Amino acid sequence: MISEIDRYAGISSPIHRWDPRFRLISIFALIFSVMLLYNLQLVMIGMIFAIILTCISKIPLSFVLSRMKLVFIFVIPFFIIIPFTVIGDGVEIASFGGITLSYRGIEYVKFAAMIVLKALTAVMLIFPMVGTSRMDITIKALEGLHMPNKLVQMFAFTYRYIFVLDDEFTRMDRSLTSRGFKRQGNLYTLTTISKAIAMLFVNSYERADRVFYAMRSKGYSGTVATLHEFHTRWQDWVNTAVVVGFAVLLQVAATSDTFSAARGFL
Amino acid sequence: MVHISDGVLDPWLWESGWVIIAVILAYTLSKMKTDDVPKLSVITAAVFVASLIHMQVGPTSVHFILNGFAGVMLGILAFPCIFVALVLQCFLFGHGGVTTIGINTVNMGVPALIAYLIFKTGTKLDIRPETKSKVTLFGAIAGGVGVVLALLLLATELITTGEAFYETTVLVVTAHLPIIAIEAIFTGVLAGFIATVKPEMFGEK
Repeated sequence: MISEIDRYAGISSPIHRWDPRFRLISIFALIFSVMLLYNLQLVMIGMIFAIILTCISKIPLSFVLSRMKLVFIFVIPFFIIIPFTVIGDGVEIASFGGITLSYRGIEYVKFAAMIVLKALTAVMLIFPMVGTSRMDITIKALEGLHMPNKLVQMFAFTYRYIFVLDDEFTRMDRSLTSRGFKRQGNLYTLTTISKAIAMLFVNSYERADRVFYAMRSKGYSGTVATLHEFHTRWQDWVNTAVVVGFAVLLQVAATSDTFSAARGFL
Repeated sequence: MVHISDGVLDPWLWESGWVIIAVILAYTLSKMKTDDVPKLSVITAAVFVASLIHMQVGPTSVHFILNGFAGVMLGILAFPCIFVALVLQCFLFGHGGVTTIGINTVNMGVPALIAYLIFKTGTKLDIRPETKSKVTLFGAIAGGVGVVLALLLLATELITTGEAFYETTVLVVTAHLPIIAIEAIFTGVLAGFIATVKPEMFGEK
């Protein structure tokens, strides 16, 4: 049910070899920079850069697209709703009964396109950001970036348990189905599922207790222990300079006259 | 559900979202004991998995939000848990956005804290199998309120951003109205069940 983002962490590419600490920070900065843009051309340039980064990382495009499909479904309504809204002022195109469909003009189309492109760019950048190293190494990198230790631990444990509990729930669902249970839109379904999930909670709570004592007795103290060590090379600095430089450049371009657009646009 | 994607909101809105969660996270993390981390994580993961379950209601497919439930179970520590769940959801599924993690955490986490407050004042945290009916009732109220407040916050943010989002807001809010009832029943049943089976799950925090 849940696919892992780090499925292609094992392949080798310049992005994979980039120190995860530097990579997380740089691409995070790039995402923020693109989101602050309010100019369609600049957002497109950002998108092209995101595509280039993903290509360099050698993560198969089919994998990226299958993940982006979800986001696409989420943002495409904006594209339809904003320029062509049922109510409001604009040029009338059609009317069905009491509902009038009106077109609000090219600025609204541009605005909607910008929202869709920005959302897709952000999701695409997630792949070179966290898809290029194993999750445990990414979590160690977060620790290296001085994120509060409790949060780092929560990320590590939660990530691990999501897959365990997902399997467990699939098992429960299967045994419910084999006893003739069907999910329908009624109160019975709701209470049955509620109780199944409640049992999942109780089971997992007890499991967490057991696992925690077992880890404690084996010397767990709260620090992330992996065999991986980070070595910073000059290449890491070069990559960081390129990506962060690009992010800054976008912001500089946005303040120049050619691409100027008021913050907030509408 | 109420995950706002990247690039939709005005920058000042999501920027202030980050500021707000930085403050609340700092406070709630200081209240968290390191020994609690594994238990909190497992409940976070369970909330995460449960929110992936889809049910058919009428023509649409809905799923649980469980922010009210997280508040009832975890108290103020629900806030960091919701933050962790949203970050993972963003990176594992691409639901929501990267820059909007802050504002999304506010939308879900603040109602969770209020839901906890309601649950706490209602039941006085006296949770035993004998008080099951009371726990169920206030669990249901807390679960419903969690979703209502999350929707209100979302609607306010979208409308503040621009009148272009007015119709979208109406659509999103209408689509989520049945979830309020579902969530209320669900949280009530769950809270009642846990009060009977393992009441100490509420106590430790």
